[in-house]
Amino acid sequence: MLGYVLRRVLWIIPVLWVIATITFFLMHAVPGGPFTREKERTPALERAIQAEYGLDQPVYEQYVRYLGRLVRGDLGISFRDRQPVIDTIQTQGFISAQIAFLSLLLAVTVGMTLGTLSALRHNGPLDYVGVIFATIGASVPHFVLAAFLSTILSVQLGWFDLLGWGGPKAASDLLNPSAYDYRKMVLPVIALSTLPAAYIARVTRASMLEVLNQDYIRTARAKGLRESRVVFRHTLKNAMIPVLTVIGPIAAILVSGSFIIEEMFNISGIGKEYVVAVRGRDYGLIMGTTLFFTLIVSVSSLVVDLLYAVVDPRIRYN
Amino acid sequence: MNIRSKWFLLPMSFMTAGLVFAAACGGDDDEDKTPTGGTTPGATSAATEPSGGDDRAPADQQKITIQLGEPQFLDPHRSSFEQDIGVERMLFRGLYNLTDDGAGGVNVEPMMAEGEPQVRAITSTGSRLAAPSAQEPAVYTVTLKSGLMWSDGEPLTAQHFVDGAKRGCDPTVAADYGYLWGPGYLDMVGCADLQANEDESQKQTLMDALGVRAVDDTTIEYTLSQPNDRFTMIMALWVTFPARLDVIEANGDAWTQPGNIVSNGPYMLSAYTAGESLVLVPNPNWTAGETPALQEITIRFIDDLSQAFRAYQSGELQITRINASDIAVASADSDLADEVLINPSGRITTLQVQMENEVLSDPNVRLALSRAIDRDELNEVVFDGTNTPAAYWVVKGLAGYQGNEAFDSIIGFDEVAAKAALAEAGYADGAGFPELSIVVHTPDFIRTAEYLQEQFKSILGIDITIDQVDSPTRSARFREETFELFIGGWQIDYPDIENVLFGLFETDGGNNHYNCSNTDVDAALQAALSATDDDARVAAYEDMETAVVTNLCGVIPMWQDSLPFMVSSRLGGVVANGTIDAGHPGNYCAECWYVKAE
Repeated sequence: MLGYVLRRVLWIIPVLWVIATITFFLMHAVPGGPFTREKERTPALERAIQAEYGLDQPVYEQYVRYLGRLVRGDLGISFRDRQPVIDTIQTQGFISAQIAFLSLLLAVTVGMTLGTLSALRHNGPLDYVGVIFATIGASVPHFVLAAFLSTILSVQLGWFDLLGWGGPKAASDLLNPSAYDYRKMVLPVIALSTLPAAYIARVTRASMLEVLNQDYIRTARAKGLRESRVVFRHTLKNAMIPVLTVIGPIAAILVSGSFIIEEMFNISGIGKEYVVAVRGRDYGLIMGTTLFFTLIVSVSSLVVDLLYAVVDPRIRYN
Repeated sequence: MNIRSKWFLLPMSFMTAGLVFAAACGGDDDEDKTPTGGTTPGATSAATEPSGGDDRAPADQQKITIQLGEPQFLDPHRSSFEQDIGVERMLFRGLYNLTDDGAGGVNVEPMMAEGEPQVRAITSTGSRLAAPSAQEPAVYTVTLKSGLMWSDGEPLTAQHFVDGAKRGCDPTVAADYGYLWGPGYLDMVGCADLQANEDESQKQTLMDALGVRAVDDTTIEYTLSQPNDRFTMIMALWVTFPARLDVIEANGDAWTQPGNIVSNGPYMLSAYTAGESLVLVPNPNWTAGETPALQEITIRFIDDLSQAFRAYQSGELQITRINASDIAVASADSDLADEVLINPSGRITTLQVQMENEVLSDPNVRLALSRAIDRDELNEVVFDGTNTPAAYWVVKGLAGYQGNEAFDSIIGFDEVAAKAALAEAGYADGAGFPELSIVVHTPDFIRTAEYLQEQFKSILGIDITIDQVDSPTRSARFREETFELFIGGWQIDYPDIENVLFGLFETDGGNNHYNCSNTDVDAALQAALSATDDDARVAAYEDMETAVVTNLCGVIPMWQDSLPFMVSSRLGGVVANGTIDAGHPGNYCAECWYVKAE
């Protein structure tokens, strides 16, 4: 097992290299650059700008230089504000991670609860509620939901704030209650978690219904086991594989930040930063954040695969 | 498989994830660098009582939150975006400042300078200083006010303005507006050579030879290649602000971060959170103008104007730009109607035409396109009537403005004349006219293109395709001249007629990517550049505008922009002036803003 884990971890390295290479050359292939403006510059100024960021070198030379810095752990600087990319990822990735964690927690809790209850009360009122929620949640774009929630819960009722994130800015404040302002946390988390919750609810319901129809569940009930034991020990555990399969990518997507939610709620997260970087052709930040997202997806995939083995004893990795 | 192995997997999997997150996430405590008394020596934290006025709220209520896009730099010599300049105006000030004259125009008032500059010919010395003639080098001597200081308590001296001038002219600083120091504008002696230099070994020699020096701590001498009546106006702009080289050299690119940055303007930077907000507090060492009443200005970086409007409605913002579509919503609300401010800006938007295109090079084709645009209807349909329909190029508010009256009868909307012009070009009812594409990038421009597409089809019978791209691609296509039609325009940098004409329309002009080449335009520009007095200069530029517009030389004017804002009725001292505002209405005097008492 340790060997499997180590192999998977080592595989991340060539994956990162491939992604870095594809991204680098694609980035330079699209029209426009980080300093392209409508207004004319003097030739000397244009040369100075290009030279300052190494953009006057051939693309392949820039690529080799970038790889050389990358193996030393240097992600370079943002072409926009000249700040180290690693600093941006640390500070803004931390914010996005908080939103992602809370959104995932809410999505899994609500989604699995609704999905389970829907399956257990199949074709009953609770099932219909669950299906309606899942349908609406999957159909309404989260920026529409965010706008709706903002108008009703903040503008009309004044219950919550619209601007900024109410969580701690530094890891050292995670356990400091005064670093939290729930008024600024509720709306972004609800808006971001609704679609994943809907999707998890649908998958949980379908998976549970399939397991509930199995012979061993009928046997367990026939043996007189309590319903809670039947559900939690036998049904839910066997229904978890498909649910885990979707939770992994959902977690990765959430951690990489939601540009729209971060933009709407004025949150300095990594998702917003990434989209701004792409729009502005900020080569340094595009490369750094792309590699960060690749790492997140790779690790999430590994964690999910390992959790399969926890949930299902039949799955073993050599 | 035994349980021990299974339970080993759980902590292993989470530890793997945890290691990654620990490495990648979690900032340091000092990411938000808030200055303490130790980091800004000389600065005090005592609240400044509002100066005068009996309608002002107490000092502890003098705090506002406003919306703006995130600045790229807070380094005035490197900035080119409006949001950067808007914040820098609050942090720094130049020798002069542009202010509202109360009649739709602009005054140039001394800010750091004691008064108007003394101007003499370069050859003039002694007690009787001769004025320079039009074409000979001129020396501008400016005396600073006494007692000026930076926010850290260091005296503000003439040398800081010299350093700022050198920095503005130095191409390695990558100042987009460094051209203002060079030929055709201020034309500071030696700047053209420095900006053209490619030999690093010569750079210091050229820097030392620049026509700027500190005569003493309070006197600066600028030597220009020829007199320039716009000297004081340009010396109000950000690229001429003073520089603290000691701070810049000590901190490198981090010199503009809280705790490092020092400013000479009414406010100083207290906190900066990338992607979220910045906070300004009064500069306790500001003596050049009115004492700021506001004790804290929080600027939130919000690009989604719909959400910004909602935040304004919920009371979280006191000034915000809004979408044109929200004007009606605000106007229908009795609490908000009086807080809507439509601020005409110094920007003209046009349909730009590639003159090297075989079809578009025909003046009758361009006239047909122009006369097929119902500018009033376009403004209503796309912008809810917010903007000003324009058949002119020189924006309202500038000396030399001629307005629609001069050109509407020549290029304005007229269906019959449009069809006749297209027929004259040989494409009656659009027969044989090739399909053209129009490059756009914003939602407003896309809607405009859709309107034009429909108008040109129904009136002229021609087909237009919409080529939607992102901003860098759009800029690249403009610079590379790979377009047929293009929605774009010009935002003034300073409120003088030369800024909206020089470099844009003369043959081989630097920004002339639509390839306008017209002898009348070129002749008018030469007359303007060689004019010996300001009235003659402005008159020549008016002739240039007339030649551009009547020939539709590269541009078909459509509207002059207006920017809609919400400004809280509890906020006083906001005097909007669209031709000089940057980011917020009236921020050329942000120290004039205050919160009114309830």
